[in-house]
This record gives sequence, structure tokens and C-alpha cells, in this order.
Amino acid sequence: MDPVLIKLALGGLAVLGCIGLFFGIGLALAAHKFAVEANPKVEEILDVLAGAQ
Amino acid sequence: MKISGGNYLFPAILAIMGIFLLAGCTTDHRFVKKTAFKEADAIIIEFAGPVDEAWAGNASNFEVYEKPDPDIKLKIQKVTVSADRKTVILTFADALNKNQPHILTMHSISSEGKSMGTAILSVKKVYLGYLFSILIGAMIINNFVFTKYLGLCVFFGTSQKKSTAVGMGITFTIVIVVSAMMSWFLYDFVLQPFRLNFLQIVVFIGLVSLSVQAVDTILRKVNPLLFKAFGVYLVLVIANCIIIAVPLILADNQYNAFESLMLALGAGLGFLTALFLMSSVRERLELANVPPTYRGLPIAFVVAGLFALAFLGFSGMSIF
Repeated sequence: MDPVLIKLALGGLAVLGCIGLFFGIGLALAAHKFAVEANPKVEEILDVLAGAQ
Repeated sequence: MKISGGNYLFPAILAIMGIFLLAGCTTDHRFVKKTAFKEADAIIIEFAGPVDEAWAGNASNFEVYEKPDPDIKLKIQKVTVSADRKTVILTFADALNKNQPHILTMHSISSEGKSMGTAILSVKKVYLGYLFSILIGAMIINNFVFTKYLGLCVFFGTSQKKSTAVGMGITFTIVIVVSAMMSWFLYDFVLQPFRLNFLQIVVFIGLVSLSVQAVDTILRKVNPLLFKAFGVYLVLVIANCIIIAVPLILADNQYNAFESLMLALGAGLGFLTALFLMSSVRERLELANVPPTYRGLPIAFVVAGLFALAFLGFSGMSIF
């Protein structure tokens, strides 16, 4: 196969991987920073209830 | 009192966006400072340094065509070089159509005997009226819902009540502006330099879901009241096709930052307008005497068709 195409494909993989990693970490940090403290009892009570509705 | 990080985060994000906006205003070639239309039939080019008269005097070094028709090269009648050799004026045989962006190619620019490479630039009318015409164009003349028939499922799903429609429209406008600016940035500074234009759809889809998730996370903490009002529609935004159409259009037209912003804003406000109009009619239809077979969605489609006909009246309108 044409080495230019292989280079393009590998470069694309690397670039998109970097973009994905960058935004993934950014989103994770944002989620950490803007975390909303939920009352753990809400979850526990929901677990105990039947949950049919 | 604890100072939350959010107070500094938003100005920082705004400052970064501002830098990108400024970066988007420069031309694509380091040796060319400015290109613009001049009078009816001329293009003026400003260089960063003096160019050689022998190079500039040769009209075959310049090639200009209108963006939609790359095969039709415009005939250059005269090339004028200014006294300080930093400004070149191309005069054409016919008047230029300034509503179309023109692509200008300059072969191997020569300055003081050194070659500065070939420059391919687009010449556009750059003034507020042009930006305004993009905004109004996307909002009314080429309304995405009524003339392009995009985003119909969300359009019919959330246009039953006025309050829902307005909430959805505002959420949509915020998200589309955020995601379109990110798409413009990634397309201009990452995809194009790496020649990965063919991956644009994958990247844009990822960016849309990213911006929806980011707005969701931040809004939940920063303004819980607003989140309660708009949170439901936020997820629906992903399923809207206008939000993927806008990045594709701006990539196709090679829009710069301001033009992208105007297109996104126009698309968002246009969707808001469409939703508001539709919900006003559908609230009245609840009370109207509609035949039973047409009740609900069928009559909504008929009304949407009538709206589309009405919006057809705007087609072909040009503002400036």
C-alpha cells in the first residue's frame, strides 16, 4: 500500500486519540470539579423500594 | 468562606476563546497581511514586505475565481503596484460579484529575490453587514426547520406547549453555539493541517456529545434552578440534526470564527423562532374543531407545511 496513506491513517489515529484523551480528561476533571453532593440515603431508599413504577 | 473554582474558570474560558477569535481573523499566509475588495472591479492585497515588481507585474502569477466555480478563472486586466511595493491592486475586466467569496492564488511570491511560497487565500466582504446577513440568512431566509427540513423529530416532539418550546429553543441555542465554536476550532487548527478532513463527521459527532455533556455537568452545579428547567431538553439536543448540520456547513464553506458564530447563533435562534411559532399554533389547535383522523401529529405536519410555504416567501431575499 502507498506509504503516504499508511502515514495518514496512523497520523489520524494518533491525532483523534489525542483529541479523545484530551477531552475525556477535561470532562472527567469538570465532572470532579462540578460534582453535586447527592444524599446517599436517596439511593438506599430507592434500592429498598420495589421500583416497578 | 471558600472560594469556588468556578469564579475563575469562566473568565479563563472566555479569554481563551477570545484569543482563538483573534487568531481566526488573520489571513492564511504569513506574508500576506490583508486582502479585500476595492470598488466594483478590483481586489487589493497588502503584503508584509516589499514584493518584486517583475513578479507582481506578471498577471499570470495571479489566479482568481469565485468559490462555487473553480473552473471559471476571472480575467485580470491590470496589476498595479504601489510606490512602496507593499500593496498590489488587481483590476478585473468585469465587475466582481462581491456576495461570493473569491479564491485568490498567488504563485511563488517573490520578495527581494526570495521566494515566499504560493498563497491560496479567500477574499470576502468583511464587514458587519456580511456577518449580519449570515445571521439573518440562517435564522429566517434559510431557516433550518422550514426550508431545509432538519431537526423535525425534536421540532414536533417539543412544540406542544409554549413554555416547553421556548425552553428547548434556548437550551438548543446555547449548546449549538458552544459546539459550533469548538468544531470550527478543531476543523481549522487540527483537522485541516493534518489533512484529516474526511474524519470530520466522526469528530463533529463527538464534539456535539461532548458539549452536551459539559453543559449538563456545569449547569447542574452552577445553576440548579436553570438545570431543573432545561435539563430535560439537554439530552434531546443530541438527537437533533441541525446541530451536526451547522459544523458540516461551516467546514464546507471554510467560515472563520465570527462567521461560524453567526451561523450557529442564526441556526439556534431560527430553531427557537420555528418552535415558538409552531407551539403557538398547536396550542390553538387543541381548541379547534379538527377532524378526528387529523388530530395530533397529522395536523401538526400540515401546519408545518403551511409554515414552510410561508417561509418560502423569504427565499432569494438578500439584505445587503
